[in-house]
Amino acid sequence: MKKTAFILLIVVFLVLMVTFYLGGTPLVAEGLTRAGETAMRASLLIVTAFIVIGQLQVLISSEMIKKWLNKYSGNKSLVFSSLAGGLFPGGPYIFYPFLAGFKGKGIPFYIIFSFVIGKQNYDFTRLPLEISLTTPGLAVLRNIITLPFPFIMGLIVRRFFPKGIGGKFMEQGEQ
Amino acid sequence: MAMPTMVFLILAVILFLINLRSGRHWEGLRNAVKQFIAVLPVILLAMLLARLLEILIPEEFIKRWLSQEAGFTGIILGTFGGMLMAFGPYASYPIIATIYHAGAGLGTTIALLAGWTYLGLSRIPFESSFLGLRFTFLRMTLGLIFTILAGVIAHLIELLF
Repeated sequence: MKKTAFILLIVVFLVLMVTFYLGGTPLVAEGLTRAGETAMRASLLIVTAFIVIGQLQVLISSEMIKKWLNKYSGNKSLVFSSLAGGLFPGGPYIFYPFLAGFKGKGIPFYIIFSFVIGKQNYDFTRLPLEISLTTPGLAVLRNIITLPFPFIMGLIVRRFFPKGIGGKFMEQGEQ
Repeated sequence: MAMPTMVFLILAVILFLINLRSGRHWEGLRNAVKQFIAVLPVILLAMLLARLLEILIPEEFIKRWLSQEAGFTGIILGTFGGMLMAFGPYASYPIIATIYHAGAGLGTTIALLAGWTYLGLSRIPFESSFLGLRFTFLRMTLGLIFTILAGVIAHLIELLF
């Protein structure tokens, strides 16, 4: 996060320079005022969104997700693995090592694939942020449109790559 | 109080009460505070960046390349824009919202959001090192197709309604 903040700080600094060059102090002040207004308006929403995220992270464990992944097979498993991906707590530092833990466990490739897409598409910790930092309308529309995508992508992978794609550890075939 | 804030507030109370039963409610709150403090500078910087971009991006550019009238061009630009936006959600979402409010079409905006979701380049090093480059290539290929599809669907919705 510190790295992101640092990169962002440099970008903001450069954009501030351009703003100052184009419109001087009044334009910079306008940008700062608008940013302050947005921060004030969104503050309560953002704080409550973080409380929701924190509580959900405690409620849903990776053990629970592991059970789900092992429980189902076939098309039903695509739905459950996508949802399980969305409910998986933690960022990439936890998510990818967790998946690597399934190496050689016989879980079909399409389940792993839809799990990854499900994480990207439905990530429950991101949804409150998407609603609070974009607009509720945009977030809802994006989620409705892309709702079936992880399932459809999983179906495509199941149909065209039933034996996986080779590579690092994805050599597991259809069960 | 705005409706989304109210919904989150109610949800937060419900989840707090559920976790209260297992005695892990404070752990949830601690998680929330820790994460909030960690990302607060990013959120504030992103908001500032978003508002500065709002001032700087010429209206003509939005109209020509990103608005509803830009059609498929806007969707393609949105797709690759989302892919290149290598920031986390705290920074990317306010920027996308600003582009939308500046007059970008719904197709472009949804393609930006979907492109960021499915194609984000910042994810590649992690994914490819754990799951392999072939996996990443397959995911990116399908992600590209479905991002464009999402943009087209949103564009059609905007045209119809």
